[in-house]
Amino acid sequence: MFLFIVKRFASTIPTILILMIISFVLMRLAPGSPFSGEKMPPPEVLANLEAKYGLDQPWFIQMWRYITKIIFHFDFGPSFVYKDISVNDIIDQGLPITFIYGSWSFLVANLVGIPLGMIAAIRHNTWIDYMAIGVSIGAAVLPNFIMAPILIIIFTLWLDWLPGGGWNNGAWPNVIMPVIALSTSYMAIIARLTRGSMLEVLNSNFIRTAKAKGLSSTTVIFRHALRPTLLPVLSYLGPAFVGMVTGSLVIDSIFVTGGIGQFFIQAAFSRDYSLLMGITILLGAVTVLFSTIVDILYAVLDPKIKL
Amino acid sequence: MIALNKQKREKTVEILSNVDLVKGRSLWQDAAVRFRKNKAAFVSVIILALMALLAVFGPYISVWSYEEIDWGLIGDAKANGQPSIENGHYFGVDNLGRDLFARTLQGTQISLMVGLIGAVVAVSIGLFWGAIAGYAGGRVDNIMMRIVDILMSIPSMFVIIIALAVLGKSIIVLFIVIGAIGWMDMARIVRGQTLAIKNKEYIEAAKSLGVSDQTIITRHVIPNLMGITVIYTSIMVPSLILTESFISFLGLGIQEPLTSWGALINEGAGQMQYGVPWQLGFPLAFFVVGLYCLIFIGDGLRDALDPKD
Repeated sequence: MFLFIVKRFASTIPTILILMIISFVLMRLAPGSPFSGEKMPPPEVLANLEAKYGLDQPWFIQMWRYITKIIFHFDFGPSFVYKDISVNDIIDQGLPITFIYGSWSFLVANLVGIPLGMIAAIRHNTWIDYMAIGVSIGAAVLPNFIMAPILIIIFTLWLDWLPGGGWNNGAWPNVIMPVIALSTSYMAIIARLTRGSMLEVLNSNFIRTAKAKGLSSTTVIFRHALRPTLLPVLSYLGPAFVGMVTGSLVIDSIFVTGGIGQFFIQAAFSRDYSLLMGITILLGAVTVLFSTIVDILYAVLDPKIKL
Repeated sequence: MIALNKQKREKTVEILSNVDLVKGRSLWQDAAVRFRKNKAAFVSVIILALMALLAVFGPYISVWSYEEIDWGLIGDAKANGQPSIENGHYFGVDNLGRDLFARTLQGTQISLMVGLIGAVVAVSIGLFWGAIAGYAGGRVDNIMMRIVDILMSIPSMFVIIIALAVLGKSIIVLFIVIGAIGWMDMARIVRGQTLAIKNKEYIEAAKSLGVSDQTIITRHVIPNLMGITVIYTSIMVPSLILTESFISFLGLGIQEPLTSWGALINEGAGQMQYGVPWQLGFPLAFFVVGLYCLIFIGDGLRDALDPKD
């Protein structure tokens, strides 16, 4: 068990290293240096600047320095565009915001999606079932970048109930719409997965046995059916997490929440490569670690997998 | 008695000579029959074909081109830019006075093309990668699939955005980058199938005849993977279109004056508050209908080609 967990975490190391190398190589492919602009400094100054930032070294030494700095000091270096601000400052500022509404969305998607799917399966072929299927198909073609503007049009422009953007230190009216926009499509997928898996479980022999023993339907569902039902849902949580991290790019841009996605998009426009790389590596590492934890949980919960 | 026998014999000969040989049906003919029975999928094919025809030939019936500005309507979209037949703006105009009918068709062209080209790029890489890994086996297989595992766990959207920022926001870069993210799943599926195929008797026969590995892969392995390839391609197209729309929505994908579904929806959503609902409505309708059709076609093809389920 312990060995399995250690092994699983060790296998994330090459992934994260390759992520760092890919981003570094992409950045090196970019034309121009960070100091090239309308006013080129004199060559001596340029040489000094390059020496200061280590840009006069060959590329593999630069890469080595960059990667070791991140691993041992958690230092992503200075931003190319925002003078006097390091990538770390921007991450410190943006990440908590993204984390707060991201975790809420994750909770909402699961706490609404799983019960909805279970009810749909238990009340198979009733209006609840049809409604759940309808919603989940609809959500498949209404991703967060369409949900978000529609929500703003309805709740801000027409009804004037909620503010159309801003963060306001996480006051709940500002959090509601980002959470709905981010969680809806994942909620629908989780509901559909739960429904399908629960239907299969409810038709299996051990459930029939449990019913034949005369157990109440509550006991059958919560003691016997719940665990095998949730296994396929659990394996979807990794991809759902990735999707939500990606979705935060849209949410931050549309709702101007000041989260990390907003900085990422701005960085892509202003070609702030060090900021782009820093955010990619950080969020990439977080998602890789999260899917590892999900994998381990899955192995613990699934009796068919021997550790 | 003899006469009777003779009569009987002649009758038999006649019957036999009239009966057509029972034709064998191939997997593909079977699948076509099953697919045609699936009403949702069949209707989706028709709608999507109409949409594609409209996207290709529509610009010839359109009065305006997608980048032309109607100076009489610029900045006046709310009052006079609504959809009308008389002035040739069938879907109305956008806030810059450009014809939305032409722009929507142009966006449809780009979006469908991204889905198609991206899928072709992804499937070809995945098909060869998976077939080679599965057929070679052993250490080569291990290394190749380990690379796939590692690449799969990297959040692709961030890498796409970095690539677009670094390599420039051109349409060709977009096609290649979008294609380059989808091939890993395909490689995994194909590898699994190849492992099953390579132990079949016909591969053994080919080997004993001295056919080279390369020829076995291209002539015997890959044709037998076509079913799964078609299924996977059809499932991948809508997700690639979604990816492209996502990127274009953020303003990093297709650049003006070209446009795509995502970019049009972004513009429309931004103009919504100025009372021009058609600018969001028409692109959104095309997007939703197009994606629904593609999803139904994918489901239909899966059911038709994979009778086990």
